[in-house]
Amino acid sequence: MRRLVEDAATIFLREWLRYRRDRAYWVGQLAFPLVVVAFIGFGLNGVVRLPTGVDYLAHLASGVLALVVGSGGVGGGMTLIQDRESGFLRALLVAPVSRASIVLGKIASRVVASLALMLVLVAILATFTAIGLPHPAAMLLSVISVTTAFVALGVALASALRSLESFRLLAGLVTVPIYFLSGIFYPVSTLPAPTRWLAYANPLTYGVDLFRFGLVGVHELPLGWSAAVLVLLTLATTAGSVLIFDRRSLR
Amino acid sequence: MHSAATIAAASVPDDAIVARDLVKRFGEVAALNGLSLRVARGSCFGLLGPNGAGKTTTVSVLTTLVLADAGSATVLGRDVVAERALVRRELGLVFQETTLDPELTAREQLDIHARLYHLTGRRERVAEALALAGLEAHADRPVRGFSGGMKRRLELVRGLLHRPRILFLDEPTLGLDVAARAGIWEELSRLRRTSDVTLFLTTHSMEEADALCDCVAIVDRGRVVAEGRPELLKAALGGDVVVLTLERAAPRDEVLATLGALPGVARVTYDGVDSSEGVFRIVVANGPQRLPELLYAARPFGVREVLLHRPTLEHVFLHHTGHPFELGRQELEGRG
Repeated sequence: MRRLVEDAATIFLREWLRYRRDRAYWVGQLAFPLVVVAFIGFGLNGVVRLPTGVDYLAHLASGVLALVVGSGGVGGGMTLIQDRESGFLRALLVAPVSRASIVLGKIASRVVASLALMLVLVAILATFTAIGLPHPAAMLLSVISVTTAFVALGVALASALRSLESFRLLAGLVTVPIYFLSGIFYPVSTLPAPTRWLAYANPLTYGVDLFRFGLVGVHELPLGWSAAVLVLLTLATTAGSVLIFDRRSLR
Repeated sequence: MHSAATIAAASVPDDAIVARDLVKRFGEVAALNGLSLRVARGSCFGLLGPNGAGKTTTVSVLTTLVLADAGSATVLGRDVVAERALVRRELGLVFQETTLDPELTAREQLDIHARLYHLTGRRERVAEALALAGLEAHADRPVRGFSGGMKRRLELVRGLLHRPRILFLDEPTLGLDVAARAGIWEELSRLRRTSDVTLFLTTHSMEEADALCDCVAIVDRGRVVAEGRPELLKAALGGDVVVLTLERAAPRDEVLATLGALPGVARVTYDGVDSSEGVFRIVVANGPQRLPELLYAARPFGVREVLLHRPTLEHVFLHHTGHPFELGRQELEGRG
């Protein structure tokens, strides 16, 4: 157990050394939500009235931040493909570290990167929208679980695919419906029946709702229910990604 | 802890690596086709063969990266499947393609490696390794910008950082220029003089295997076709080869009888007439010393040309596979 944590910490450090230099990652992740809020949010803010009582700008801003967390997670899974292409993965696989610690280290590094981004973005967005950090614990749980789930998705894709190009293409194809049906852009309770059920079946819906509660203080779904779904999701996707990675790394 | 280590060391047999009847298929292609080999502790073992012969797959199986479909293998007495966690701790690996993280600096690279192997005294070891690789001046630059030779040197010192008892080198000098190659050879020779590490290297360079290894296994199409000390493998061919081109008029049977009767000559074969000349191939022990005598005996038949070949591992390969080394490679490339 101690070895697992130590090894995961080493992987975490290595990922962190990489991110630190990856200016495109930081600039992209910081600029994207601000651009969406500025170019879509301001426009729709005067037109859209939400039944949840939150103004649209705050709804969209918190939703887009959740999207940033999700895409950070997918990017974490994508590093597996990058590591395979650079060859580093082989050096990692032949080292005496468990597959679980590699996956956990990657998840942890993305959680921390996303939390750092959230703090900066919330500070910026708080100056002109109604978001803040009224319930940090809810935000934390949501970031951990959304990141883990999307890293797992990335690991699953990375295990099945060989090239970065196909990964990007397929990741987009898979994640876009998940994002759109999760309450990022509108409250899911306003959807007509069949689509609404799909949204309730989408685990990200609970992540976004709890995340929004953390940032805006308003929620659509029962909080306990969301928290339970997210804890389960975190455990299941962690186990799932470790299993997939373990099986696929030995040919 | 100490006594446990002593017991473990005592119970380990003399072989560093034993592989038995390894089979591995990738789809239609059988990369390994019943490959068996044995590597003595502290030796330098060379797996020699053309591209596609199964060298890299062998290394991948022995280093726990790939599961064989059939057969078994042990490294330092540990099974590479059941005890792979233990095997991984004991081995170092330098791959033919780079396995460095391009975004990390040389120092970070080594530091992460030291952490992955839970080494103590990381800072000193990393500094030592950087000095050994001659990369102190580039220690804090990302590896992305390194030359091929610099990367390979860094890989080599990284592979040695945790002082493995077996170092696997998969085509360690592939794609390097002559100077960089000489540097790696020198480093490996130094390593053999100063430590008891077992080296297992794959190469398609006959010269490399000859220069570095005390034991060579020749692989072709996924199995070992010959194994032994390079000198012995070469000696088993019966000696040097003299190719003698005589005037067309030379009476074939008389030439065969005359030359065949000379001391040291193992066999004489007639290679046919090349437009106007008769070519004879003579296998003879100690060719350079026997050559004057041979020429003297052949003089009445009109000597046009003479060539002396000392046996190389290339000849050994040809002898055991029935096809020349280069041909084997092209054929496989065409197939793959």
